[in-house]
Amino acid sequence: MSDSVIRVENLVKSFGHNRVLDGIDLVVNRGEVVSLMGRSGGGKTTLLRCLNLLEEPTQGVVVVDGEVVSKDGKSLHRAQRVQLRQRVGMVFQSFNLFQHLTAAENVALPLLRVGKVERGEAVRRAVDLLARVGLADKALELPARLSGGQQQRVAIARALALRPVALLFDEPTSALDPESSREVLEVMRELSTEGITMLVSTHEVGFALDASHQIVFIDRGRVVHAGPPREVVFESASERTREFFAGFVRHGGGALT
Amino acid sequence: MSLSVASFGPFHVDWISWAPTLGSGIVKTIEFTFASFVGAVVAGLLLALMRESPAAPVRWLARIYTEIFKNLPLLTEIFLVYFGLASLGLRLSVFQAGCASLVVFYAAYLSEIFRGGLQSVAAGQREAAHALGLTEREVLTWVVIPQAVRLVMPATTTMLVDMLKSTSLLITISAAELMTAGQLIASTTFRAMEVYFVIGVIYFAMCYPLSVTSLWLEKRLKAGIPLSPRRRRLITQVRLASAGEVAS
Repeated sequence: MSDSVIRVENLVKSFGHNRVLDGIDLVVNRGEVVSLMGRSGGGKTTLLRCLNLLEEPTQGVVVVDGEVVSKDGKSLHRAQRVQLRQRVGMVFQSFNLFQHLTAAENVALPLLRVGKVERGEAVRRAVDLLARVGLADKALELPARLSGGQQQRVAIARALALRPVALLFDEPTSALDPESSREVLEVMRELSTEGITMLVSTHEVGFALDASHQIVFIDRGRVVHAGPPREVVFESASERTREFFAGFVRHGGGALT
Repeated sequence: MSLSVASFGPFHVDWISWAPTLGSGIVKTIEFTFASFVGAVVAGLLLALMRESPAAPVRWLARIYTEIFKNLPLLTEIFLVYFGLASLGLRLSVFQAGCASLVVFYAAYLSEIFRGGLQSVAAGQREAAHALGLTEREVLTWVVIPQAVRLVMPATTTMLVDMLKSTSLLITISAAELMTAGQLIASTTFRAMEVYFVIGVIYFAMCYPLSVTSLWLEKRLKAGIPLSPRRRRLITQVRLASAGEVAS
């Protein structure tokens, strides 16, 4: 059995009467890039948030890096929850950079406060990470002075700071124009070749086809089809899946650069 | 007092010989303002945090306090604290009573200002901070409060200036601050217009610089200039490190 970093069994999440996740099964192995796709509101974001306990699952089992994070509605609390989040990084659709800190300080904050890294070392690592996402020259800029694509790349650098075992991406390019989108997807593609485990909720079918090992199509809180990218997009046995990807396929999505 | 010939235009009061009285009045005013402001900020912050508490009774307590003391005149509170408590056996000094009533009054307003500031810091940033593995306290300390401070600074300075002016009400408990000094001089020299005019000018001279300083501080903060020496050192290190990085 391969080394699973994230394992989800029969995950259910309800908000009051609204059952957003209706029994999700998912496995993400070490070094894998998994794309979560589906309609907005279908549960992709909620699923990601259940993995780092920004939401608490109602039922089901969530295992991250060998540790049971949630079972039968009981999830990790306080100190253990804080520890979990140090092992799993998250990148948000709206970047969520700390507005009062420069790019380098944003990346250094988790190192200084959580990692308890000494200041000189924290600065070195922060600048290195920024260089990795192509923003070494923006280290001293405040987020307000950065473009959307640049902000998101800083956010990615920040999420990488504590060397998490997995990165969760919640529609990282949905708030970006096509050009900025490309910048960010490029960084994500590079990360994916470096063996980082990634779970990406996205509408970017191109990225999902190129860079991921698996596409998981979620609709109305359930996994409709999970499998190799080309199979899910072009050859799905499920009608709902075919329907979802029809737009992409029809508009020349078959020929990819 | 003196029947001195030192008069200047319409100014007939011998201000030179009254200078010590004025001086001690000014000092007293500043003492009241400073002590009460510190107290009110602490209390206001505490109340604002209580309003965000997950425990309902804590929230309620803070809410009730704020509603009560936003709706009582400061003068009434001064009398309640100084005369009211004394009649119950708790005799506070003029300074204690004056500060207590100012703190109690302004904490209510400051807590509303602070609450607004805390809530204005976008929830997304809070989430991101949690997602990085920061504890609730760390999120407040490093992400929320630094930004909230910038947001509340204008309104808070307005309250400070307002508080300085409010110390004048303490004349009613003979607090020996500037207004009390003014009344003493006026009743001795019988030159009410001149005396209170000068008192007014002094109040203006104390309040106006406060407003100007706060504006200056705001501008610096907006430009991203770091306030704390710790951040300044950090930024210097970043500058050095990134210069090396970009060059390579």
